[in-house]
Amino acid sequence: MKDTRRVLRWFPLLAVFAIWPGSRPAVADQPQHLAFRVGKVVTMDPQNRVLNNAVVLVRNGKIEKVGPAEGTSIPKRYELIDRPDHWLVPGLVEAHNHSAGSGRDLHDYVYLTNPGLRTLEALVPESNDIKRARAGGVTTVHMIPGSGNNLSGFGTLTKLAGDNVEQMLIQSPGSLKISQAGNPERYWYGVGRTFMYYNLRQTLQKALAYHRQWERYEKDPSAEKPQFDLFWHDFRGVFQRKVIALIHTQWYQVVMSSVDMLAKKLKMRIVLGHSTFEAYQTAPLVLEQGDIYASNGPRQIHFDRRQRKIMGNAARWWQGGVRKLGVNTDAGVIPQEELPYQAAMACHFGWKPYEALRGVTRVPAETLMLENRLGSIEVGKDADLGLWTGDPIDPRSACELTVIDGRIVYDAGQQREF
Amino acid sequence: MRRRSAVFIFAAALLTAGPSAGRAEDSKPKQPEARYFAVTKATVHTVTGPVIHGPTVLCKDGKIAAIGHDVAIPDDAEVLDAEGFHLYPGLVAVRSSGLVGNEPPEDNTNVYSLSMTLGLAGGVTTAVANDTAAKLSFGTLEDHVVKRNLFAAISYTTRDPNGRRTFRQALEQARRFLRDLQAHEEKKKTDPAAKPPDAASLKGLNQTALKLLRHEVIGVADADTAQELKDLAELAERYDFRLVVRGAREGWVSAAAMARAGLYAVITPRTRRDRDERSNHPNGSSIENARILHEHGVPFAIVPGSTSISTSGLAGRDLWQLAMEAAFAVRGGLPDDAAVRAITIDAARVLGIEHRVGSIEVGKDADFAIVDGDLLHYMTLVRWTVVNGRVAYDKQKDSLLEHIRPGGDRDAPPPPDYWPRRLGEG
Repeated sequence: MKDTRRVLRWFPLLAVFAIWPGSRPAVADQPQHLAFRVGKVVTMDPQNRVLNNAVVLVRNGKIEKVGPAEGTSIPKRYELIDRPDHWLVPGLVEAHNHSAGSGRDLHDYVYLTNPGLRTLEALVPESNDIKRARAGGVTTVHMIPGSGNNLSGFGTLTKLAGDNVEQMLIQSPGSLKISQAGNPERYWYGVGRTFMYYNLRQTLQKALAYHRQWERYEKDPSAEKPQFDLFWHDFRGVFQRKVIALIHTQWYQVVMSSVDMLAKKLKMRIVLGHSTFEAYQTAPLVLEQGDIYASNGPRQIHFDRRQRKIMGNAARWWQGGVRKLGVNTDAGVIPQEELPYQAAMACHFGWKPYEALRGVTRVPAETLMLENRLGSIEVGKDADLGLWTGDPIDPRSACELTVIDGRIVYDAGQQREF
Repeated sequence: MRRRSAVFIFAAALLTAGPSAGRAEDSKPKQPEARYFAVTKATVHTVTGPVIHGPTVLCKDGKIAAIGHDVAIPDDAEVLDAEGFHLYPGLVAVRSSGLVGNEPPEDNTNVYSLSMTLGLAGGVTTAVANDTAAKLSFGTLEDHVVKRNLFAAISYTTRDPNGRRTFRQALEQARRFLRDLQAHEEKKKTDPAAKPPDAASLKGLNQTALKLLRHEVIGVADADTAQELKDLAELAERYDFRLVVRGAREGWVSAAAMARAGLYAVITPRTRRDRDERSNHPNGSSIENARILHEHGVPFAIVPGSTSISTSGLAGRDLWQLAMEAAFAVRGGLPDDAAVRAITIDAARVLGIEHRVGSIEVGKDADFAIVDGDLLHYMTLVRWTVVNGRVAYDKQKDSLLEHIRPGGDRDAPPPPDYWPRRLGEG
C-alpha cells in the first residue's frame, strides 16, 4: 500500500498530466503487480476450492499464481496487500443491469420492436452509479435496454472501470434483449401477449432468414452476396449461439413460452432474466433444454396466495434441480452495489450461502459466456477481485478493495463508499 | 468459570431486585388468575446486560417476572423450550405503516392482518403508527397501546424562513413565561396577592414550545442535511429540549453538534445520496453514518427505507427485515451490539418507552424475538415471537415460512404446489 500512497501524494501533479493533450487518463495507468496474502481465497474454480491462508499474485492484469501462503514467495516489485483476516473473492458479475448508462436512454420507445439499438451508445464511464457498484465489489455488468418494448435492442458486456468505452468494453453486442410480457404491454392500447408472441416470431423468422442467406454465402462464395442490413445483422451472433438472448420473462405461462419458442424452436441460447413469481414451477421444462440459465431477480420472493406461503425463488429453482442459477439486481431497481444482498435474501428464504456466492460470480460469468475470462480466481483469468472483511453475502461485510484488470479501482481505506 | 459466576451474580441480582422476585412468591401466586409464561434454555441477549446461557425467563401477566437458572416455574405456566435458540428483546420499529392500525390503534388495528404477522415474523413487537406506539398483539387488543402522543412535530428549516422565526419566537415566549413563573414564585413570598402569569395566553405553537421546555413531550423533526441538523442541534441546546431528528443523512458531518445538544436520531444506514461536488463542505450519504454517530455518543434508532411490509417480491428492504438494515450499519463500522441496540433499547429510548420495552429485564414487558441464530445474520429466521407474554408468531405453526429450513434443515424438500405440481413427473 505504501506505493499507492506515494503515488497519491503526487496525484495532483499526475492529474495535471492527465489533462495534458495526448497523455493517458488516470484510471488507465499500467496494471499494477499485486500480491494478496489473505485469510481466505474463494476461488469459484471448477473444483470449488477454498484456500485458507493463501497468496494470489496479479500481473499484467491477469491472475498469475494462486497458492498457499506458506511456500509461495512474493517476488520483488509486487505491492503486497497483507490482510490475514480478509477474504479474496472473484469480482462480482451482474447479469442484469440498466444503471451503467444514462437512465434516460434505458429504452427508446420509438417502435414496439426496435432490435437495431445498442446500449453501448448509452454507456457512461465513471458515473456515480458505476463507482458505487465498484464499492460493492461488482466488476462486470451486463447492461441491457429496458423492457418497455418487445424487442428493445442489444446489450453490452462491460467492465466497470475505464475512462472511455473502449477501455471498459468486453463485448458489444453482448446480448439480444427480448421482453415477452408485462412491461411492453403498456406500450400502447391493444398490445397483449398473443400479439407480442406473434410479433416476436415473425421478427425472429425474418432475422433467421437473413442469417441463413449469409450462411449460404459463407459456405458457397459463388452464391449471390446478400445485402448488408444493419437492422438484422446483429442477430447473426444470436443464431450462431455466440450471443445470448436475455429474456424479460416471468410467470409460469410466459417462461413456458420463452422456453418453447426461443430455446426449443429457434435454438437460441436464452437467459431467463427475471424468472420470478411462480416461474420456478417450469423447472422441468427448463432442465429439459439443458442450456438455459435462470438469473433470478430483482424479486427474490413470491407470495403464493393460494397456499399462503412465501417462496424463495432461487431456493425453489434450486430444489427443482436447476443448477444454472444466479441472482440479479435489475439495477437500478435494486442498487447495483447490493448484488450480494440479493444473494443474502435468496439464502434467507431457503437457498445456500456457497451456491448463492457462486450465483453472483461464476454462474453469471457462465450465463454471459465469459467464464473463460471472469467469475473465478484461476491462473490466466482477468484479475477482477474483491477483498472483503468476511463473507461477501453478509451485509455486515464490507468490500475493502476492488481490483479490475489488475488495477485497484476502489480502496475503502481512502473513502468508504459502501 | 469467571463468566459463569458473573452470569450467576447477574441473575441473582435480578432475582433479588425484581418487584415480584423470589422463588417462594413465584411458586405461590397471590392472584390465582395470574397468567404465567416461561421460556427455558434459550441463549438470552438481555441487551442492557450480559448474554445469559440457558436461563429460565419467567413472565407473569405479560411482564418479565424473573430471569435465572434456578427460577421455579409454576405448574400452570405455559412453557416454551427454546434450547438452541437465541432470545432477544422484541424489535422496536420507530416508524411503521400497516403493522398496527392508524389513530387510535385500538379502534383500527386488524390483529389478524398479514402485515402484522409478517412484522412478527421479522421479530418486530412494537411499532409506531402516526403518533402512537402499539404492540403487534396478534389476536388480541389487550395491552395493545404502549404510549400515545409520542412526539411534538416541529419544523425548522431554511426552506421555510417564516416557520423558523415563528418557532424561535414561540420558544422565546415559552421561556419568558417560565421566567415569569419563577419570578412569581419569588414575588409570592413577599406579596401573596401577586398575580401569576397566565398559562392560557400560550396557545398553539407556544403551548407546544412550553411543553418542550418543560420536557413534557419529545420534539421530532425531519432533517437530513448537515445544516438542518446543526441548526436543530443549536436550537435544542439553547432552549434545552429533547429532540429526535428523523433522516439525519448527513449526521456524520454534524455528529459533534448533535451529541452536544443531546439529540436522538432515526437513521436508515442504506440511505443513498450522491455527493454534490459543487458544495464547499462534506455532504451526501455515508454508510459510516451510524458508526460516526455512535462514536460521538448520539443515540439512534434504525429503520429501513420502507417502513411498511410488502409481499410484492423485493425482499429485504422493509420492516420485515429490520435486523438486516441494522446489519448494514455494521458494514460501516458500527459494533454488532450497538446495531442490535438501535432496533431494541435505543429505539425504545427514542420513543420514550425504554421502561417498558427494548431489553430483557425484570419488570419489563415480555416481548421476545426468539431466533435460530445471530440476529444480524442473513440466514437467521425467527422461530417464535412473544408479545405481552403470549406467543404471537410460531414459524412452524404458520403456513407462511414453515417450509423454509424446518428444524434448521437446509436440504428440506419444497412444499407441494398447486397446478402444475406434477409437471415433468409423467
